[in-house]
Amino acid sequence: MTTQTIDRVVTRPRGRGTLAQRRSLIGMAYAAPTAVIVGVFFLLPLGLVFWMSANRWRVLGSPSFNFPDNYANVADNQLFRDSVSFTLKYTAITTIVLSAVALGLALLVQNQRPGVGLLRTAYFLPGAVGFAAASLLFYGFYSGSGPFDSALRDLGIIDEPINWLGTPNAALFSTIAMVTWRFAGFNMLILLTGLQSIPTDVYEAARSDGASSWQTFRYITLPLLRPTIALMLVLSITGSLLAFDQFFILTRGGPDGSTVSMVMVIFREGFTRFNLGSAAAISVLLLIVLVALNVVQLRVLGRDR
Amino acid sequence: MRYYSTAAALAILFLLPLGWAGVASVQGQAGSGQATGVGFGNYKAMAEYGEGIGTYLANTAAVAVMTVVGTLVVSALGGYAFARFRFPGKELLFLATLAILMVPYATILIPLYVVLGHLGLQNSLVGLSLVLIMFQLPFAIFMMRNSFEAVPRELEEAALVDGCTTFSALRRILLRAVRPGLITVGLFAFLASWNDFFAPLILLSDGDKFTLPVAVVAMRERSFGAIDYGALEAGVMVMALPCIVLFLFLQRHYVQGFTTGALRG
Amino acid sequence: MRTSHLAGVLAAAAVLALAGCGGDDEPSNGAAKDGGADTGETITMWTRAATQTQSERLVKAYNASHKNQVKLTVIPTDNYQARVAAAAGGKNLPDVFASDVIYAPNYTSQGLYLDITDKIDALPFADKLAPAHMRLGTFEDRKYTVPHTLDLSVLFWNKDLYKKAGLDPEKGPTTLKEMAEQARTIREKIGGKTYGTFFGGNCPGCFVFTFWPSVWAAGGDIMNEDGTESTIDDPNMAETFKIYGDLVRDDVVEPSAKTEAGPTWTGVFPKGNIGVMPMPSTTLGLMPKDMDIGVTPIPGPDGGESTFVGGDVVGISSTTDNEDAAWDFVSWTLGEEAQVQILAKNKDVVGRTDLANNEYSSADPRVVTINELVAKGETPYSLNFGATYNDPAGPWLKVARDAVFGSDPAAALADGKQALTDSLGQQ
Repeated sequence: MTTQTIDRVVTRPRGRGTLAQRRSLIGMAYAAPTAVIVGVFFLLPLGLVFWMSANRWRVLGSPSFNFPDNYANVADNQLFRDSVSFTLKYTAITTIVLSAVALGLALLVQNQRPGVGLLRTAYFLPGAVGFAAASLLFYGFYSGSGPFDSALRDLGIIDEPINWLGTPNAALFSTIAMVTWRFAGFNMLILLTGLQSIPTDVYEAARSDGASSWQTFRYITLPLLRPTIALMLVLSITGSLLAFDQFFILTRGGPDGSTVSMVMVIFREGFTRFNLGSAAAISVLLLIVLVALNVVQLRVLGRDR
Repeated sequence: MRYYSTAAALAILFLLPLGWAGVASVQGQAGSGQATGVGFGNYKAMAEYGEGIGTYLANTAAVAVMTVVGTLVVSALGGYAFARFRFPGKELLFLATLAILMVPYATILIPLYVVLGHLGLQNSLVGLSLVLIMFQLPFAIFMMRNSFEAVPRELEEAALVDGCTTFSALRRILLRAVRPGLITVGLFAFLASWNDFFAPLILLSDGDKFTLPVAVVAMRERSFGAIDYGALEAGVMVMALPCIVLFLFLQRHYVQGFTTGALRG
Repeated sequence: MRTSHLAGVLAAAAVLALAGCGGDDEPSNGAAKDGGADTGETITMWTRAATQTQSERLVKAYNASHKNQVKLTVIPTDNYQARVAAAAGGKNLPDVFASDVIYAPNYTSQGLYLDITDKIDALPFADKLAPAHMRLGTFEDRKYTVPHTLDLSVLFWNKDLYKKAGLDPEKGPTTLKEMAEQARTIREKIGGKTYGTFFGGNCPGCFVFTFWPSVWAAGGDIMNEDGTESTIDDPNMAETFKIYGDLVRDDVVEPSAKTEAGPTWTGVFPKGNIGVMPMPSTTLGLMPKDMDIGVTPIPGPDGGESTFVGGDVVGISSTTDNEDAAWDFVSWTLGEEAQVQILAKNKDVVGRTDLANNEYSSADPRVVTINELVAKGETPYSLNFGATYNDPAGPWLKVARDAVFGSDPAAALADGKQALTDSLGQQ
């Protein structure tokens, strides 16, 4: 309780005083580098994206204003409509699987033990492989001449190679397996960092109060981990909604267009059909949805101090 | 014992694909640098490729260093601001920073290319680093904000009461307290800038400025549409090596918790 | 950042956009720029990773023998379009750049290349340049590109396997039906892990590259002249799909064909367990040295010969300042010295039909076969080729898969024709 009092005394100013203004200015100073980088290297190009979405923008040659055509055409784009439902399905499954695995791994390696450094490295290592390279590796892995299939065939367990990518469901789950392999370690690390900021005496107090490990987890660890979980979910969900490489390389949107994600459609518009305006329009729509989604997510998982 | 058998089994599962890539990288495959038999032909081809691996390594290292340092500085200062201060536009800036995550790479890169051109930073490693710092900010700022928020205010109050400015409080005390966060941010920044492919591809025009990932991709795609798997696997091994070393080295900084003992001094 | 500040930033962006991208963007059309040809200029060139070996050899030889120097940058294949788009948007194209021949219509129609009609016509061998490539580099009767590297689809057959199966190893198939027969024989007589044939069954570009020549060989076609309407229901196409489809159903095709999306489709034949299959001519030099391989043009169902003339074309960018130096290099690559001493010597296909039978190619009759096909083969022309046929999210992949893996190819093609036409005609 002392914490709260000191808080109020020192940082809550009595009325509008120079202290509040000064703190505000100091805060802005600290935030300035962020503002500059975000402003120049993100908001400026983003402005161009907005502008491109309102034009018929070919690769070379003058753009011509055609608002709201690019946006209206999105509704007619059957490929895009299908990709929305697929991407949502993929995001839901991947988020659950990835979060569960990452949490499990984090809890497994959070305490200092002999060899835990090696274990953490093993789980994290897939994150050191470039995503496109990882997708190609798994493509080879899942192909008929991959090591898993060869081993099983040599052992006589199966006659024909397993069709890892042959049906829509198989392709989906094979992709999720690859993504989990690649990102579980990242998310584990994020959770570890969060777990480590929980003071040890909190756990000691709980233990001396007789709490079981499940109770400790449910009532102490999880709540204190909320900001970390929020971070992890924001990254994971946004990343899944914007999934591209894994489908472009591993499944090519197949079999038969069953694994086409939204960004694949954007890429097709921009770089295969050379219609940068249309690609920009879809991106803008996606951005609006994602911003809304993340604002809601952050409110719900709010800060709990 | 049950702990170790489960943990080890999982570890093997995670290491299997990389292990296979390593073994395959020295095996013979038609059309690769190691056409028959066993040997380091793929690695040799890689070392001699294009401008030579030394150039690509130097470029990539330069970009990685600039990105890591830049990200740490900006996110430490920014995270502190978001955690401890109130100022106008705070929520909006945080949201704008997070929004970086929500625009697909493919969409933003061409406009970025145009903006960099106007700033005179086209085809430069510095421009590339600034862009990579920007891409790291959503994660880095969020992580540092969380880290700073988790530090009990007593720590800071004590320093301020003792007469420190916010900056020296930050420097001497708080940074130590948020070390796991900083290490994670630095590590992720390193990994991203070391492995990033699309940004250097679009933002650089000269072959001799290319980074390792671009060279590796160009190398594996050289057989007219098919993928040179030997080159792919050798590339994966070479690029993963520094990351492994770095991560192993950083293990000792992930120390469990931090005690309130620091307050008693 | 305050809201008003934000608005200011966006406004600035809009202004920048207008400033950067408006204005005069008409392609310059060959107004002669001053300066001699070989005066020590440095010109920049981009090439796709897929053709880097050939480009590098040419550049190296040119640099060694000229005062002008060419600075070559190799760009990964799959992202080449994106990179060129970015450069075009930023007005930052190199002096010379190659492109996949299939995308030449897009680049020429959007003014990325310089009009070099007069320069080409002044060449003594102008009419001997690979006709298929020249057709794709021509837009509204003006010429913009010349052949750079060629990659043709041809049938490879494994002579060792033929011998083992009791087939005459020196006689490859002359009709597609014959190829199917030989494939069946291989599968029946040898069996086990050995299969008759293989193809990229989940790879849209592979279908185009390997199956379409059979239609051309029979005199049919899969699109109209300007690539705006599909004629995919050509009976020869249906026949071709039926032949391959029957092979799939009779277990003559290696099973991973169904999921082969492209990255490994040329890696199967070199393993030595495929009897006969269409392959890129450029893989001939990468085959295991101890494998005895025969090469023959792709036939139609009942005969004929054709090929898909792939590869890269090269041109001068419309925004270059070094037009003469650039042309000096480009025209040199078409000269006899470059074509024979650099390309042919390394077993690459030459871009000139009059050099098909040169001092090096005659050492390997298979190379002569391939070279001679350049005059007979075709490259299909369409502005929407990539989006329709190459992109896995486009309509072609589904049509092709239904045709080969389904039970009624003719119906599948008839059903898919409208979707293809719609995609081809999109603005």
